[in-house]
Amino acid sequence: MTARRRFDRLVQGALLLLLVAYSLFPIYMVTLESVKTEEEDVFGSPLYVRHPSFEWYQGLFDDEEWWVAGGVTRRTVPFLLWAGNTAIVFGVTLVVILATSLAAAYGLARLRPPGWRWWRRALLAMFLVPQTLLFLPLYQLVFRVHLDDSLLSLMLTYPMLAIPFCVWLLSAYFQKLAPEIEESAYIEGAGRLTAFLRIVLPMTWPVLVAAGLFALGVMSSDFMLAGVFLPNQWHQTIAAGMSTMDVSLEDLSVVAGVTASSLPVVLIAALLAGTYTRGLTAAMVEGA
Amino acid sequence: MSQAMLVAAKTGAAAASHGGPATSRRRQEIRLAYLLLAPALLLVFGVMVYPLGWQIWTSLTDLFVGNTVARFVGLANYTALVRDAEFWRAAANTFGYIAITTVLKLAVGIGMAMLLARPFPGRALAFIAAFLPWAYPAGPAEMGWFWFLIPPVHASYGEFMARLHFVVDDALGAGTWGFLTVVLLNMWRGGSFIGIFLLAARNGIPEQLFEYAALEARSGWQMFWRVTVPILRPFLALAAFLSLTSAVADLSNLWMQSGQRDVYPMVWTQAMHLALNGGLWGLATAETLVLLPVLLAVLMLCFRLFEPLEEDPS
Repeated sequence: MTARRRFDRLVQGALLLLLVAYSLFPIYMVTLESVKTEEEDVFGSPLYVRHPSFEWYQGLFDDEEWWVAGGVTRRTVPFLLWAGNTAIVFGVTLVVILATSLAAAYGLARLRPPGWRWWRRALLAMFLVPQTLLFLPLYQLVFRVHLDDSLLSLMLTYPMLAIPFCVWLLSAYFQKLAPEIEESAYIEGAGRLTAFLRIVLPMTWPVLVAAGLFALGVMSSDFMLAGVFLPNQWHQTIAAGMSTMDVSLEDLSVVAGVTASSLPVVLIAALLAGTYTRGLTAAMVEGA
Repeated sequence: MSQAMLVAAKTGAAAASHGGPATSRRRQEIRLAYLLLAPALLLVFGVMVYPLGWQIWTSLTDLFVGNTVARFVGLANYTALVRDAEFWRAAANTFGYIAITTVLKLAVGIGMAMLLARPFPGRALAFIAAFLPWAYPAGPAEMGWFWFLIPPVHASYGEFMARLHFVVDDALGAGTWGFLTVVLLNMWRGGSFIGIFLLAARNGIPEQLFEYAALEARSGWQMFWRVTVPILRPFLALAAFLSLTSAVADLSNLWMQSGQRDVYPMVWTQAMHLALNGGLWGLATAETLVLLPVLLAVLMLCFRLFEPLEEDPS
């Protein structure tokens, strides 16, 4: 190996280390914060923890109404209930997003009604409407159809945050599939639905994973809508519950809560990261 | 001829070739296409039409908290904004923020994609690490950065960070630190998204294409600008557009995370301040909408750049 190549590899290794450190830093900070005692949080080092403690996590899962932490009594957080609500909302919404996006993408890219490109462009353009003050009219809407304080409010509003991109991704993939793929099925007398379910859908799997992971990322990043629509403590998702609690150095329940809730998302993302990338490649590049 | 018509014509057997059955089949297909499209459109446009309409209407009235009957005032809110020096400062900040974050995110993303493109031991782990900033929920992520950069006063490292804060502001002008924190937050999340996006695109492009190009190019720098960038251009445009929308969304997240402090005046955070702290909803909605035409123009430009990759193969 020449000196030049060795140097290149050294630079590459250093850059990779930098990339990994930069990528994990805030996640490390938040997770670390969640296992600190109140005392260490104020007086300890920001970069490491000397006496890790799980009192904040215990507080999340306590059965009693009140619990004691750092010499102060605090109210219990119905975390398991919130986690269940979150799972329901994410699960149902994910199915809704993927089903509607699949249907729309198939309709646009395989059947190509007049102006189909413009429909897709218009959907993507909806991403441009600034979300900043949208929560107020959205709340009025949710209130008017009597969905406030109900998980349905989120199931109604989350899809619009993900569908435009999911439709774009899936339709870009369908557009590239050669017509011959379904033809043989048609010749054998299969209907459009059978051909879709038996032939097209199994091929679409990685793209569907990519779309689903995107939707999950968008949903798990929302605090605003959840916080506004779900005021009742017993009907909240984790994001809604956490957004109404005070964040302070003396009470780290929120930090423990968001860390506990982001763990499943991180695990799913880590497991599906490879498929996500393959799906994006399949949608974007011809013949891949 | 579209693929769908091709299928229709072929499956419609010989009789289909002379008008009649083929066109009725096509009509059926179009009806089916709209039927399939309807639920998605309903969930996006159906849900958005009222909030967007409300925002547009409110921006034309003098609605404020405590005034039950809003009066129609025409474009008065918009002209008030245009005359306001504070607005122009926020607008300049917003353009700076979007320009800087877009360049940084593209740079981080390209770097990430190039680092991870070739195999090396431990690539799978490095890849997952690079993927996490985007996959990690935005709320806690921003909390992590924000607490580190602008810590509560009584944290042990609060004094050190506060000193750094003042040194930077002193050297580069007041507000620089706040601006940098906002930029960093968005760069961290968006850079990861773009990086994985570009890596996916790079994976689909045959290695020979890059190898041929490497023979032609004289330096790595030239190779980058003359080969890598043109090949990835459509993907860069699409990624840049998607991350632009996240740059806007992150501002409101940050607003919530920072306890509704105006960390740095931007158009949308200023609008939130006007609405939530000042109660001036008419003016605030006008401010959130005023940049929409500019964003739409950017989107049209992006469509031009990334639609070639969706052209029909036929």
